[in-house]
Amino acid sequence: MSTVQRLKAPMGLLINRNKSVSFNFEGKSVAGLDGDTIASALLANNSWLMSRSFKYHRPRAPLTMAGQDANTLIQLGGEPNVLADRQNITDGIKVEGQNYNGSLANDRDAILGHFGRFMPVGFYYRSFFKPMGVWDKWEGFIRKKAGLGKLDLEFEPQYYDKKYLFCDVMVVGGGPAGLTAALKAADAGAQVLLVEEQPILGGSLTYNRFDILGCEADELRAKLVAKVVNHDNIDVLLNGVCNAWFTDNYLPVIQGQRLFKVRATECIVASGSFEQHVVFRNNDLPGIMMCSAVNRLMKLYAVKPGQRAVILTGNDDGYLTALALSDQQVEVAAIIDMRPSVANIELLEAVEARGILVKLGHTVYEALATSDNQHIRSVDVRKITAPGQVDNTAMQFDCDLLCMSAGYMPAYQLLCQAGAQLSYDDKLSEFNLSKLPAHLHIAGSVKGIHNLNVVQIDAENAAIKALNNLGLSSELTTPTTCHNKPNFPWPIFSHPKGKDFVDYDEDLQAKDIINATRLGYRDVQLVKRFSTVGMGPSQGRHSALPTARLVANATDRTVTETGVTTARPPFAPEKLAHVAGRIFDPRRRTAMHYRHLELGAKMIPAGNWQRPAFYGAAQNRDQLIQAEAIQVRNNVGLIDVSTLGGIEIRGPDAAEFMNRIYTFVFLKQPVGKTRYAVLTNEHGVVIDDGVACRISEEHFYVTATTSGVDRVYRDMMKWNAQWRLDIDIANVTSAFSAVNLAGPNAREVLATLTRDVDLSSEAFPYLAYRQGHVAGIPARLLRVGFVGELGYEIHVPARFGEALWDHLMAAGKEFDLKPFGVETQRLLRLEKGHVIVSQDTDGMSHPGELSMSWAVNRKKPFFVGCRSVDIVMAQPQTRKLVGFTLPKNSNKPLEGHLVIKGDDVTGHVTSCEYSTAVDAIIGLAFASIDDSQPGSILSIRIDGGQMVDATVVALPFYDPNNQRQEL
Amino acid sequence: MTTLIPEMFNNRSLLYRRYDELNPQYLELANGAIANYSSADCSSADSAEQLARSALIDLSLLPRLGFRGTNAATYLQQSGLELPERPNQSVAGNHGEQILRLSKQEYWVLGNLQSDNQWLNQLSLASLPTERCYKLFCQDSHAWLMLTGRHLADIMAKVCGVDLRASVFPTGAIAQTSVARVNAIIISHQVNGIAAFSILSDSASAEYLWGALLDAMQEFEGQVVGYSALQ
Repeated sequence: MSTVQRLKAPMGLLINRNKSVSFNFEGKSVAGLDGDTIASALLANNSWLMSRSFKYHRPRAPLTMAGQDANTLIQLGGEPNVLADRQNITDGIKVEGQNYNGSLANDRDAILGHFGRFMPVGFYYRSFFKPMGVWDKWEGFIRKKAGLGKLDLEFEPQYYDKKYLFCDVMVVGGGPAGLTAALKAADAGAQVLLVEEQPILGGSLTYNRFDILGCEADELRAKLVAKVVNHDNIDVLLNGVCNAWFTDNYLPVIQGQRLFKVRATECIVASGSFEQHVVFRNNDLPGIMMCSAVNRLMKLYAVKPGQRAVILTGNDDGYLTALALSDQQVEVAAIIDMRPSVANIELLEAVEARGILVKLGHTVYEALATSDNQHIRSVDVRKITAPGQVDNTAMQFDCDLLCMSAGYMPAYQLLCQAGAQLSYDDKLSEFNLSKLPAHLHIAGSVKGIHNLNVVQIDAENAAIKALNNLGLSSELTTPTTCHNKPNFPWPIFSHPKGKDFVDYDEDLQAKDIINATRLGYRDVQLVKRFSTVGMGPSQGRHSALPTARLVANATDRTVTETGVTTARPPFAPEKLAHVAGRIFDPRRRTAMHYRHLELGAKMIPAGNWQRPAFYGAAQNRDQLIQAEAIQVRNNVGLIDVSTLGGIEIRGPDAAEFMNRIYTFVFLKQPVGKTRYAVLTNEHGVVIDDGVACRISEEHFYVTATTSGVDRVYRDMMKWNAQWRLDIDIANVTSAFSAVNLAGPNAREVLATLTRDVDLSSEAFPYLAYRQGHVAGIPARLLRVGFVGELGYEIHVPARFGEALWDHLMAAGKEFDLKPFGVETQRLLRLEKGHVIVSQDTDGMSHPGELSMSWAVNRKKPFFVGCRSVDIVMAQPQTRKLVGFTLPKNSNKPLEGHLVIKGDDVTGHVTSCEYSTAVDAIIGLAFASIDDSQPGSILSIRIDGGQMVDATVVALPFYDPNNQRQEL
Repeated sequence: MTTLIPEMFNNRSLLYRRYDELNPQYLELANGAIANYSSADCSSADSAEQLARSALIDLSLLPRLGFRGTNAATYLQQSGLELPERPNQSVAGNHGEQILRLSKQEYWVLGNLQSDNQWLNQLSLASLPTERCYKLFCQDSHAWLMLTGRHLADIMAKVCGVDLRASVFPTGAIAQTSVARVNAIIISHQVNGIAAFSILSDSASAEYLWGALLDAMQEFEGQVVGYSALQ
């Protein structure tokens, strides 16, 4: 590629001329400078073609040089849809165009541009589905054609995170308004956060020309920036995009790979405005740019944008751009001014003094392309005879650059998200904003103020209002008036041959918008959805204003009545990685966690806990579980049950509270005894269970399920907020570590470690509770029967948990004590027919259908859900949870498999496993009440649609007289 | 001479393994072993500098007590403690402990960082009033982490949505909030003249929180230090 020489300093604010950077574009090496974006480096090498348009695959090049348009979307390595005019170059990056068939320069799909008449607005809503079945043929083709860029499926996630920021005043935009507002607020003592999306402060002061001599911007910028960067009360965040406004000034700002979540007491939006294009035929050719884009190219990147330029303007800014170009030795062939006259005579004289022709009351009617159709070569200029109309006499001006400015649209998005109202001023031909919420202020060109002096006063006014709200100032604001009128009222010149683009992203022409209204889509919201105007990456930054004008005109309404479509976050594209940030996924571990790992446990999640499922390789699951179960049945095993919920109820009304919360009777529960505790909700549904230990008259320690304890605690707190019983409730789940030492030799093992608890069956019978020490560790001991063997649950303060495990494992060595996991425990409790709440129950399970009536005291005056329990249990029962068996060689049903009777689903399997102790497959299932008697047959549909017949049996499957657990 | 390790004691912090890769030397403290030096050749000057820049320490072994109930305040005052006037405040006690008020009726006492906490140990053994003053389980339910240095607010801003800048969260303030999606109690105080946050959080997720805090500290060259850094 040829390299255009860079403009001399002071052009090139962002580049470092001493550091070259080389990268690859479409297979060719490109030389740039440090600080260049991909787009500026390519333009410096006279390489304009960067992308192909969405529908017609037209050649596209930068329009704004500010990331405000989608013309520069490129593929950067594995990442699609990167804006080339915002992405800095670094050595060795690989850049490719997108959306072409063949090559970027020779896109075979550009032929689609000739078939525009077969693709009228909204054609896809009316095509592709008739005749029936034709969609199947179209879908593959359309999927292949749609979308931009390629995803890298081997992508390695990178580190993104989020951070909160707090300030008194957040100023969005570091241009003249933002800088002034920030200084005013900071001088009065406010803590200010100034957010600017560019790498340097200054906004339009960095590139725009505000005066004939071209000095004002640089001088003002230098003055303001020096004050801001040295101010103790101002924090500056460069390269930060404020991407939304949420209630109470909660604002996300994206910088690099971080999303800042800013909470500002006051917010001043000085976000500026978007320069608007003129609609004429071929207004999308490479070489056609906004005036501001051309100024950015020169001032920021020292790139000469062309050799011979034409300016198309509806305001004085076009003239100032002409002077800027002329300063850099770009020949300005003509200024085509759509206005009939120029108020600023000095400006007119200044351009004429440089030999620049001015054509007033004229417009570009058509841009003409080079022979390869990839750059502008001349413009067809005509006199304007009426809004949108031109006469037939054409003048041709050769050029390789067309700079246009039809006016400005405020960057309204954040403000409309905040509920501001957009109204159109017919006199000024521009939108303005009103009805801002409290604590949100605007200043500068977003407010329609384009005079630098007035901008500064206006910005100070915004700061004063913010300071008044903060109580830091009682100063009054100064009234302002801006006489600048940069918006040309009707910069839309439809061409009979079309290709006069309103929306560059979606390849929408003026006639497309008008035709949408003619098809009945008169509301701008419907126009948007039908035509897709404003739905592309630039989100209406350039299409909203012309669309509003065209729809208003076509539907005989005012532009205010027509409005623009709803602005929703995000303001600029944001990655899912930004939204996700650094994932926080809390994990809880018991004190014995590392002992399980050292023993080779297969760990599984249980809620947000980690628990050992079994000990050994995952592929040997079934054998390991059976071996562990046999160990517990015949000898002794140890399981970590620390995840069990634990709640302390203490106080004079403790027993009364327990009596009201749970279904059983607790008022007379003896001290030193445990009792099964079932919890129902107000619908009478069983929602949790546990064991309640009475430690003293006014002290209960009750366990709950691992996943249910937080809810149980919350419900207890809620109920007692009403009952006001004299108790204290404490969730002590994390405070205690616990194990279950179970098996015929459990007593022997425990006896070696405890001296102050009599472990004999007489002194410490089944269901009793004792306190003492185990290996010197203060412990609560419960005799429980969950797994159906002699068992001791030992609860100790969590700091002793690992030591407890170590002592028990050491003491158990001589008995060949082995650990067992939660999967094994599931099998053991299943052999006893014990229900696991939320495994064997659902949202409708009441005590009756779970055979838990024995745990419900119907005589006491109240427990939570008692009335509902009475009602549901008085109804004819329709289903019941039953035990079933199958011969061991049968195909084993899985949890969730359905119980089928005829054409009906009458239940489902909730638990199922092979049992060595019973030498059969055993399980629990909901079944029809008619099939709940032992001996009944349940037909269960297993994987593959096969049916197996299981036999209902009485529970428990093992040790029916419960002798083993009561040893 | 046998090298001291936490496994020699029944009393173990749930975070002791977080020091393993730092080759710590342990000190016997509070019936357990606390990591004293964070690395073999860490000088006291280095520790002080690290403490001032950004440091994380596990203090879970140090004693702490909690009391709640309508009689809790009276009991503690009778035991010689001056209590914070309002919830979410902490004050320093006469024996170097920190007294936290977490609600109208809930008080925690965190042990002195530099002493053997005899006074607090005696308080833990004392009898409570017969009614309406309940001992809490904070020694075991909550791990005690301490974050120090000049970047406290910036570090916490990456894991917590509450404004913890010194101007709005001064010494003596308490925030009961969510940190990296776990519940935590944050106390603002000073250690050797350096700003510090004590963070009390669910002991079962302490390792997870430790990792989240270290990750947030990386940007500020934060490091784990041992107990000796506080001396």
